[in-house]
Formats: sequence, structure tokens, C-alpha cells
Amino acid sequence: MYHKNKWGYIMKVKFLSLVLAASLLATSLMGCGNNTDSKATSTEAVKEEVNEDSKTEDTGSEADTPAAETTDGKTIVTMWIMPNSGEPEADFLTVMAPFLEQNQDIDIQVTVLDWGSAWTKITTAATSGEGPDITQLGTTQVAAVAAMGALEDLTGIYDRFGGEEAFVPATLPTTQILGAGEERFAAPWFIDTRALFYRKDICEAAGVNPETDFETWDSFKAALTKMKGVTIEGKEVTPLAMPGKNDWNVIHNFAPWIWGAGGEFIADDNKTSVVDSNEAYEGVKFYTELASEGLMSMPALEKNSAEVEALFNSGEAATIFTGAYEIATLRREQPELAEKIGTAPFPAGPAGRYAFFGGSGLSVFNSSANKEAAYRIIEYLMTPDAQVAYQRLCGNLPTVQATYETDFVSEEPMREAFKEQLEFGKAYPSVAGWGPSETILQKGLSNVWDNVMGVYGDYKPEQTKEFLTQTAGESTVIYNE
Amino acid sequence: MNRSKNQSKRIPKRKKTGLWARITENKLAYYLIAPAIVAMILIHFIPIVSGIMMSFLKLNQFTLKKFLKAPFIGLDNYRTILFDQNSTMRSGFFDALRNTAIFGLICSILVLSIALLLAVLLNREFKFRGLARTLLMTPWVVPSFVVGMLWGFMWQNDGIINRILVDVLHLFPSKPYWLTGPAVMVAIIIPTIWRQVPFVMLMLLAGLQQIPDEFYEAAKIDGAGAWRCFRHITLPLLKSVLSIQILNGIISYVYSFNIVAMMFGHGAGFPGKYGDLMMTNINRNSFQIWQFGTGAAATVIVMLCVMGLVAIWYRVFQNDLVVKE
Repeated sequence: MYHKNKWGYIMKVKFLSLVLAASLLATSLMGCGNNTDSKATSTEAVKEEVNEDSKTEDTGSEADTPAAETTDGKTIVTMWIMPNSGEPEADFLTVMAPFLEQNQDIDIQVTVLDWGSAWTKITTAATSGEGPDITQLGTTQVAAVAAMGALEDLTGIYDRFGGEEAFVPATLPTTQILGAGEERFAAPWFIDTRALFYRKDICEAAGVNPETDFETWDSFKAALTKMKGVTIEGKEVTPLAMPGKNDWNVIHNFAPWIWGAGGEFIADDNKTSVVDSNEAYEGVKFYTELASEGLMSMPALEKNSAEVEALFNSGEAATIFTGAYEIATLRREQPELAEKIGTAPFPAGPAGRYAFFGGSGLSVFNSSANKEAAYRIIEYLMTPDAQVAYQRLCGNLPTVQATYETDFVSEEPMREAFKEQLEFGKAYPSVAGWGPSETILQKGLSNVWDNVMGVYGDYKPEQTKEFLTQTAGESTVIYNE
Repeated sequence: MNRSKNQSKRIPKRKKTGLWARITENKLAYYLIAPAIVAMILIHFIPIVSGIMMSFLKLNQFTLKKFLKAPFIGLDNYRTILFDQNSTMRSGFFDALRNTAIFGLICSILVLSIALLLAVLLNREFKFRGLARTLLMTPWVVPSFVVGMLWGFMWQNDGIINRILVDVLHLFPSKPYWLTGPAVMVAIIIPTIWRQVPFVMLMLLAGLQQIPDEFYEAAKIDGAGAWRCFRHITLPLLKSVLSIQILNGIISYVYSFNIVAMMFGHGAGFPGKYGDLMMTNINRNSFQIWQFGTGAAATVIVMLCVMGLVAIWYRVFQNDLVVKE
């Protein structure tokens, strides 16, 4: 009997430990359960937000909203924006203040999303139909969200922005789904483009003429070669510093080189990736070999954009390709250094001169119940005054042509190159599969950097070609879905 | 001994031991665990089952709206992962699987050994023992994604680690690239160990304190040295705690994500052929490339692998999970 009981006891303990082990396993599987069940959980998250929104609707808007007291009789427009400026919500509402003053019937509720989580939230909103009235979308996201049938066609209200001619031409293709009709699902809000920032003093010491030497790839490379080994204030500077693979901007940094060599990302059929074409390969090779030839800092290739900018701002690099926001950073943080810095448009490649154009647009979800009020807000944000006011706070560039004739450009010599660059800006093909394919391109181009950095033994150009071929194959699968 | 004897007296002899009889007999216990069971079903079981269902569907950005009503494609997602040369999942899957295995094995061994060593040391009386314990616990307090960001920063070519190794200690002729190439494995293992050791150490320390001092005193009288005490008293009596920690380790290393993801450009980067783990791979394919179906299939494959490992673990340690009398 004792024996029997002991056995029972042992069985119980055994059962308990099994339950313990199973629950441990289950708890950890939760991670993957969550992964695979993103829809349900994030829908909840969005629902919560919507609930929160309606709660504030009842109690009045937040303290820093201009019209704080009452919402009776007012149309409340909900809006999602990204952290575009230092204080995203306050800065945006500052720009909106004159509009809200004049339009007492409208109030605006802003939610700032993080770029990292924005994609999930936006797509959840698109699938569940429970989103805000207006959302900011990255230029590469518009086609994907529009293809899900979640966005309102804005073509009809472009007249209210002054027509299509009012915008910088290169921004317009990003508002459509390429090859799928003429509807415009977004209004271009701002441009993010990268130009060359250079140190005037280093150019002088190296005998480089910034006026002419940054015109073409070859003259640019020759200039970098001259700058190699130059010491300024006892420090040897690296000719060019750029982030490599650990960054959100990997593809943006490659794109102008691919285009400049005559390459493209997607063929005319909008279905086939041609990132492995000979032209694209030549562009990638030219750019990455700046590193293998010692003209570009290898250690910087492990850093992200912000860290590489910090490197340039601390005087360790002679040149860098970066966005217009660098101007504001320099003026604010390093006013002395700013005086020594000039800007030049992206150099011209053998097949033409191109600069990467990204940025964001504003879209209206077709689930919105306040479309007219949403249009009025977008209309206001497309006026030259609001565009300039917002970009003074954000540091990017306006999309409305008229703004480039204002003192926004004339007061800041470093913006001149960006204005010039509007002529040859180019955006990524606006197809629904672009967003997902970016990660594949990022992975492939990371492998290319690994090759240059000697991960697979000595640098072999033909291996770069192999990685591009693999990337093209994988991307084509995505474009054909 | 006494306790079990009492227990055997207390538990009445039952003739009928049917399931229902046992349930009604332990009604209170079932009431008490009911909320936990409901929660487990809601937040564990349903997501797992829907995850498995997703792995049979063509679920991408165009069909996401239909979710579980997306087109059924049978085992095609599995075929894609295992055989389709043009699939982005296939190209990195076996690298990630291999990396995860190496990562898990090395982390398990090193974490357990270091934690055991520290636990044994901390179990002794010495001055400032409390302070030492507190300090050793601090890495555990740091959120894992912060650990990833910080170490990612320190591992950079011109970062503090290379400065110490090369500029101060002169251990390498030139500064190595820790975040590129095969060295990535070192770069992800060390922070993981650093973060994981305190927790395991704490568990082992708790286990050590359960061992009565008399055992050691008796062994000493018999002339046993420190090593023999450790081998014949500490280790056998810690075995049940150790076995749970091994299980815990297997699971947490296979599902390791935060540190690796954050170390490469704060989630933007690709850890590369030698550093990509299963979870970063699945996350990339599911949430960035929008292949939710294949992502779910890969998760199921990983889940099966882990179940296999847990089964092996159970066979090896089943006797140690039983309280011996």
C-alpha cells in the first residue's frame, strides 16, 4: 500500500513537472503565437486607440491642442503622423494653428506613430477599416495600402491644391499605383532627398574645386582620391563616410548609383526585378568599390545614418550624402562648422543624373466619416506657407514648387543644391510589392557590403553580381503576388 | 519521509477512481486553476492553432484582409521554405537554423557553467556578499532591447570593445569587425550570456540554499574535499533545478530575438549569413516582406524542432523531476 501511494505521489509530481514544462514551452511559444496572429492583436491595439480617441472626443481634446475647451458641434478629424520633427505633435499643431483659428468648426486629433510600428498599424487600419481620417504615408507605402483598397481617390480634389502642376514633378508618381490607373491616392507632403555635403576647407587643402569636381562620378571619385590622406587640424579625414548595411537607408543610398549607371529596380512590366542587370551591377560596383579602394570609411559601414552624420559633424569625414535635415542640425549644433560646409547635387553617372526622392504623402482612409473636413486640412497643408512653415520645423523639403521661389531657399545657401536636385529627383517604382521587396533588397545589398568588407575572403566583384541575381529572383516572386 | 507517511494515512483508500469522481473530490483545486486555464486557452492555445492554420494559407498583403479565409494551399508554404530556390525564406532558412543551433548550444553551456560557478561562490559567506549579489543581478534589470542597442554600439569597429582589445591590450594586430561576418556569432552570444546569467544564477542559488549544511559537514568528516563535495553533493542535489534551467535555456535561446534584432541598426539591419537567427528571419519574412503564410510555416517548423528537443530533454531528465524519497 505504501508502495502504491508512493507511486501515486510520484505520478502527481511527474504530472506537475510535465505541466510546468508544458507551460514553459507554451509561454515561449506565445512569442510565435503572437507573431503569427498579428492581425488579432494589432486590431485590438487599434481598437483601443479608437476607443481612446472617442474618449477624448467626449471629454475634449488634449491640453496642447489649440481648441481645447469644447468639441460640441465641431468635426473632429483624426490624423496619424510620424515623428517628422523634434516635437512631432506640438510642431504639427503649431503649423495647423492658423487653420484651426479660421475654421472653428474643425478640430484635429493627432496621434504620432513610430516609423517602426507604423506599418503594422496602418495595414491593420487598412484591413479592419478602423483607422483615422487622414494618415501620413511614406512614398513607398502609398501603393501597397492603396492596393488593399483602403484609400480614398484624391484625384478629384487636386484642383484645390492648385492642380498637379503645383507639385515638384518627381513627387507625383508616388501617389499612384504604377500601371494600375491614373487615380491619385495621396497628396505629396514633403520630400526627403540626399545631396552631397562637403567640407570647403578640406577641398581647398586637397586642391578640389567643388564647383566642377562633384559634377560627375569620375570627377567625384578623382576628388575623393585627392582628399585621401589630407589632414585637417592634425586629424586625417576619411574622404567619404556613408552607412553600410545596419541602417534604414541602405537602398536609398544605392539607388542613385543604380539609376546613374542606367539600371532600374523593376522592368517595364512592373513584375520583374532587374536589379541584377549589367547596368545596375555597374552602379553598385562603382559605389561599393569606393570602399574597397579606401575612399570610403570601412568602420563607418557598420554604423547607421545618425552615427555617420555624427562622424561628419565631428569633422572626421570630408564628404557625406545626406538629407536636407543635416542643414538644420549643423546650424543648430555646429554653427562654426556649418560655415565651412557646402552642398552639391548628386553627381551625374554615365547614363544620367539622378537623386533619390523619398518622403511622405497624406492620404484619406475611405472608412473616414469626415472626408470633407479632412480634404480641407490637406488643402491647407499644401499651401506654400504651411509647407514652408512645417519644413522649417522638420528640415525636409516642401513638395510645392512655389515654395522654392521664397526666402526658404534664398536665406540658406546650403538649400540651393537641393533646389537644383529637384530637376533630377527620382522615386522608387510605386508598385504594391515595393514595400515588402525593400527588405529583400536590403538583405541583398547587405550581402554586397559583406563581400566588400571581406566576409567571404577577398573582395570578388562577381560575387556581388551573384547576390544581385539572388535578390532579383526573390524580389520578382514578391512583385508577382 | 514523515510527511509522505502522514500523507499516506490522510488520503483515504479509494475504490472508485474514475475521472469525474476525482474531479468532484478536488473541486476547489479546479476552481482555482480555472481562470489560468481559460487564460491559457485564450492567449496561448487559440493563437497557436490559428498560427498552424495560417501555415496552410496563402497569406500575404493582398489576402491579409481575409485572414483565415485566405486561399488554402496545403503544404505549399512548407515546400517553399524547404525547396524553392527563389524564395526569400529558403535562401536564409538553413543559415538561420544552423546559427540558432550553434547560438543555443553555446549559450546554454556557457550560461549554465558561469551561473553555476557564480552561484557556488555567492553561496559562501564573505564580506560584501549582499553587494556582490546585487551587482551581479543588474544585467537582468536592463531590458533586452536596450542590451542589444548598447552592445551593438560597443561592438562597432571604433567602439569601446575594440579600443580595449586592440589599443589597450594589443590582443589583435588590427581592429576586428564584430558586426560583420562570422564574428557576429561572438557579438550576439556575449550580450545574451551577460543578460541571462543573473537569472539562472539566482535560480541555482535558491537551489543551493535548499541543500542542508549537514551533508557537507558529514562529507568533510569523511575527508571529502571541495571538488568531491561539489560532485557528489551539490551537483546531484541541484539536478532538478539545473534540468529546468536547461529547458528554460533551450526555449529562450531558440526564441531569442530582441538582442540580435536591435544590435544591427536598431532593427533595420540584416544580421547576415552568420548571425541571422530563426526569430529574426521569421520576423523579417512575416512582417517586413509580408509572407505571413510562409512565416507561420517556418514558425511551425521551429515549434516542432523545439518540441523534439523538449521530448529529448524530458527523456534525459524525467527521473530528476521526481521528488525522491
